Order: sequence, then structure tokens, then C-alpha cells
Amino acid sequence: MKYRYKIIGLDCPNCAAKLEGNINQKDGISSAKINFLTERLTVESELSESEVYSIASSCATAFSRDVRIEK
Amino acid sequence: MMKRILSFFKSDVGRIILSGILFVMGLSFPESYKYVKLALYLLSLAFCGLPVFIGAVRGILRRDLLDEKFLMSVASIGAFFVGEWSEGVAVMLFFLIGETFEHSAVRRSRNSIRALMSIRPDEATLFNDGAEETVYADDVEVGSVIVISPGERVPLDCQVISGASEIDTSAMTGESIPRSVTVGDTIDSGVVVLSGRLIARTLRVAEDSAASRILELVENANENKSKEETFITKFSHYYTPIVVGLAVAIAVLLPLLRLATLKSAIYRAMMFLVISCPCALVISVPMAFFGGIGGAASRGILFKGGNVFSSVARADTFAFDKTGTLTTGKITVSDVECVGISRDELLLLASSAEQGSNHPIAVAIASLTDEHLPIEALDEIAGEGIIARISGRSVAVGNEKLMKRIGVEFTVKDGTAALVAVDGRACGTVTLTDSVRAEAASAIAELKRLGARRVTMLSGDRPGAAVSVGEKVGIREVYHSLTPEEKYSKLNEIKRESGKAVYVGDGINDSPALAISDVGIAMGGIGQDSAKEAADIVIMADDLSMIPLSVRIARRTVGIAKFNIAFALLVKLLIMLLGAFNIADMWLAVFADVGVAVLAILNSMRTLLRPTSSVRIPKFISNRR
Repeated sequence: MKYRYKIIGLDCPNCAAKLEGNINQKDGISSAKINFLTERLTVESELSESEVYSIASSCATAFSRDVRIEK
Repeated sequence: MMKRILSFFKSDVGRIILSGILFVMGLSFPESYKYVKLALYLLSLAFCGLPVFIGAVRGILRRDLLDEKFLMSVASIGAFFVGEWSEGVAVMLFFLIGETFEHSAVRRSRNSIRALMSIRPDEATLFNDGAEETVYADDVEVGSVIVISPGERVPLDCQVISGASEIDTSAMTGESIPRSVTVGDTIDSGVVVLSGRLIARTLRVAEDSAASRILELVENANENKSKEETFITKFSHYYTPIVVGLAVAIAVLLPLLRLATLKSAIYRAMMFLVISCPCALVISVPMAFFGGIGGAASRGILFKGGNVFSSVARADTFAFDKTGTLTTGKITVSDVECVGISRDELLLLASSAEQGSNHPIAVAIASLTDEHLPIEALDEIAGEGIIARISGRSVAVGNEKLMKRIGVEFTVKDGTAALVAVDGRACGTVTLTDSVRAEAASAIAELKRLGARRVTMLSGDRPGAAVSVGEKVGIREVYHSLTPEEKYSKLNEIKRESGKAVYVGDGINDSPALAISDVGIAMGGIGQDSAKEAADIVIMADDLSMIPLSVRIARRTVGIAKFNIAFALLVKLLIMLLGAFNIADMWLAVFADVGVAVLAILNSMRTLLRPTSSVRIPKFISNRR
């Protein structure tokens, strides 16, 4: 399944690329893409919506306190 | 009040001002007050740099020693360490200023793209027996009656049931001349009603309406990354470690080789750390493509991804579909001949047979009579025609291939004609004409001027009709009488011969060709779902001049992206070089980091502008570019 979120508070595209890499390394995530300009996170995963959301959120908060993920 | 002051000093601008004042005070204190100076500098540093230092600690905890904030902190503390207090503060202060500029540039460009995309109103006005009620467009069901007043944007795809008005479709199609609509006409969401009040019945829910579909296409377009984007992402992956490595090498080797004092070597190394952030590189490229997608969308051209830009920019081989693409596709019947059957009967049978088909010829024939007989059985043969059973009779309508298939002899004049056979007997011909689009010839001439080496036409039509259209529009390489499969294999052949090929079609019967071409361009809007899936570029308006315009937009976008890469890399390299030889100072290094990022973003925003057009812009202006 493909899930799309809004991702807010990223400082720069380089940070976006790093966070993207972090999310990609998590188990159960087949691919994660962050578009810095449209502030969109697209995750492909077999996991349920809520699992994907909690993985993405915890990655984001671990990365920086300012980064938020919204449905 | 207290709260507002506090939040001001927490904001970037507030921190810059406070930190700046302290910094200037520190600078202006005489050298003899050494510790007062130091205290002022440290205070200034605390205001501008605290969040960065906190971020650096988090970076260390994450074991990410290439984190931008960590590197900046090291540079600042390193400068303090070698006694360059003012520059240690300056690094942080100017980093903050640069970041603030960068954020505001990103925000502005996001907003201007959003403004271009603000084609979907949130609200609709329901109309119930004279009573008006404003509701969310999302909640409006199909078949509801809505009212749209002059100046308002149409919230949902709908059909006018009362009133007449001029509408401005420019947001949807890029077409600047208003169109008039009246009772019975359908309108897409996103267009603006200009003169009269319209009452209309909705045809689709908000999510399926034209404006939403365009927005979805554009927002997701960036998921397909261009070659340039992939390159820069990979490059930046290596860039930071290499520059940081160089910084370490300078700090260690220069003093060891006695080429510089330890103090000077550390200062130079700190400069490298400041330059090591790849942000300017990473932001400049996607920004250009994002702007390009937004700018093109405002002209009614939807690029489905960054990768499409590069392909179109380099394309020199174009293949055009004929019917509905080079011609208007509004086929009219110019002549009817019948043998051994009355004219009325021939027309009734032929139009009944074609009633269910969406092929342009079929639509024209089906519209010949108001009433149709029911079809008992139907066999549609792509590229040939249709065989229908009507009132127990077998009615075949199609071209010579179909007649050959069912074994009916026909003698045909040239020109597009549909042949009609009833129960295996030749009964008559319906001659059709389809006019060439007014702008077709000039669009193809412009493509050739833009460097198209090979322009071909792939048509399912008969030789005479195809060649005559080819002559009118200036295409000499014409392939005719092709079935959809033959079109597909012909295009494959052209691809093999020419390397890359762009295919332009109207999305009817040519999804396979759209899909295998390197760039498939579907003309005439978002309506055809198959085209939307298969095409790389969707052109909203039925206007062929959008094809050369797409090429120009693509070239400019790719050009800007490449320029940004080159500019950012060169400035960074140059300043690193100057820094290594102690010619540049920290100020320049900060410029190489954030200054270049801001300039690259500003340059990218040019993609939102309309590209120079050889038609609309006077020569003395276009010459200046």
C-alpha cells in the first residue's frame, strides 16, 4: 500500500534526504520518499496505516523535535 | 505583551537582531576590554547559535558526525579556539541569516506554486428552489444543483441548466480567450465564470472533478525524479564526507608539513566545514523541476515528472497521430452515396451500427440520425470498423480491410469514406471530412526550428486523406492505413532508428503508442482516463502550439537545473581553493554555503515565468535573452 503524509518542519533538502534514509531502513517499509518542496512523505509498505504512521512519526521526532508528520 | 516580546526573540528575525546588536557591541569595544568583548561575543553566540548547538548534540547522540549543525558548531567553536572570536560568532550569525533567507525563499516559491495551483474552491453554493446554501465542495453529491456567480471559480464539474456566461478557462487550459457557455454545456471545475450567473447540475464529486485530478497529477509528479535530481542526490552523499575529510587533512597536514601555523590551518579547515553542507546543491535541482511543473501547469501543460523534462528537452523525433490530433477530430459527413437501398435506410442502419463506439468516425456517423435501432450483436474490429446485427440484418461499416475480411467487393474514390455493407452486399459509402487544425502547420514548423530532425505522421486513415493532411501541415514522412497494433510497431521501429521518439496523440485508441514512446503527449484534456495513465505529458487545451511550448519549457527547466548545479559547485570549489591558500575568509565561506543556496532558489523561480515565445514577444525583447 502507498500512504501519503504531510511532513512539516524540515529545515533543508539535505535533512529531508537523511530522514528519508532513516525511514527507509525500518523493517516493513519497502520505500519512503520525501519531497521537500511539496512537504510530502510517501511510504510504500505492507504494514497497516497506523503502524506506518507510528514508524514515520517516531523517526521524525528522533530526527528533530521540530519535524511533524500529519495525515 | 511580555509573551509577544518573548516570542519575537524566539523567532529567527528576533534572534538575528538581538545577536547582531551584541555582536556589533563586542566588535566596537576596544581591545583592552578583552573579557567584556568575550562576554558579549559569547552572549551573541548563545542567541544565534543555541538551537544549532542543541542540534549538534542530538547529532552526536545519533552518531551522525556529518550533521550540518554539528559541523557548523565545530567551525564556530574552532574559530573561538584559534582566537578568532568575532568570526566564530559571525559563522553562526550569518548561518542563521542565510537560513532565514533560504526558508523565506522556499516559502515564497511554495506559495507562488500554490497560487498557480489554487484552482480548486473549497466551497460550493447549493441551490434549492431559490434558497442558496454554502457548503463544502467535498460534501456535494452528484446531481446536486449549484449556483455560480460572476467572478467565482466553478467548484465541481457540472452541466449548465440555466443561464449563460463567458468563462475563463485559462487556469485549466492556458487558453486566454474566454469561451461562452449556455444551457446544456458542460464545464470543468477550476474555470472562472465571468459575466453571467449560472445554475448547473453537478456531474462529478469534488474528488473526481477536473481541478482535483490536475492537482493530484501535479503534486505527485515529483515522485518521478529526473536524471539531474538523482545525480545530485548521489553526489551530495559523497560531497560532505569528502569536504569534511579535506578539512581534517588541512588541519593536520598543513602544520605537520610546516606550510601553515596550527592556528591558520584550523581556521582554513573551519572554512571547509562551513562549505561542506550540500544544501545549495540538493535544493537547486528539484526546485527547478518543481517550478517547471508549476509553470507548465499554469499554461495547461501537465508534466508527469522531472524525468519527462530531460527527455523532451533532448527529443528530436516526433510522431503525430492524425485524426483528432493534427485534425480537429470533429468529422462531418460531406457526401452519402447509396446503391440499391434508400438513403434514409442506409443512414439509419449505419448510424445505428455505430451508436456505441467512441471512434471519431463512428461518432460522426452515429450523429447522422436522431434515432437508432437497437443492436442485437456487435463485433468491433480495431482499425477496420464494426459489424452489427440490426433487425436480423448484418450491417458492416468500416474501411476496405473490413470489406475484404467479409468478402465484399467495393470500388472506392479517394478521401476518407466509410463503406457500408448490408448482409454481405455493398450498399453505399459515407464520405467524411475532417479539417486540419489551424495551428498545426505553424506548430510543426516551430518544432523543426527547435531542432526536430524527424517528424512523422502515423495514421489509420486511407492513403489519400493521410497524405493530404501531411502536405497541409508540413509532414512528409506519412504512414497510413495502420491498425492500432501497426501504429505501435511502427513507432517502435522509429524509436529503434532514431533513438528517442515523442508520440503525440489524442488518447483515443492510442494508449499503447503513448505508453511505449519515450515521451507520450496526450492532447485534449484530462478526460480520457487511458491517456491520463499512459501519457507523460497531458495537454489540457486542444492546441498544437503547446507542443513546441512544452519543448521550450522543458529545455529551459533543464537548463536552469544544470546551471544551478554548475554554479553551486563552481562557487564552492573556488572558495574552497581560495580558503586552502588562505585567500578567502569565513565570510566568503558562509556565502558559499547559504548565499549560493538562496541564489539557486531564486534562479529556479524563473521556471515559473512564461518562456520566451517567438510568437507573442516582440523581437527586440526576445533578442536580449
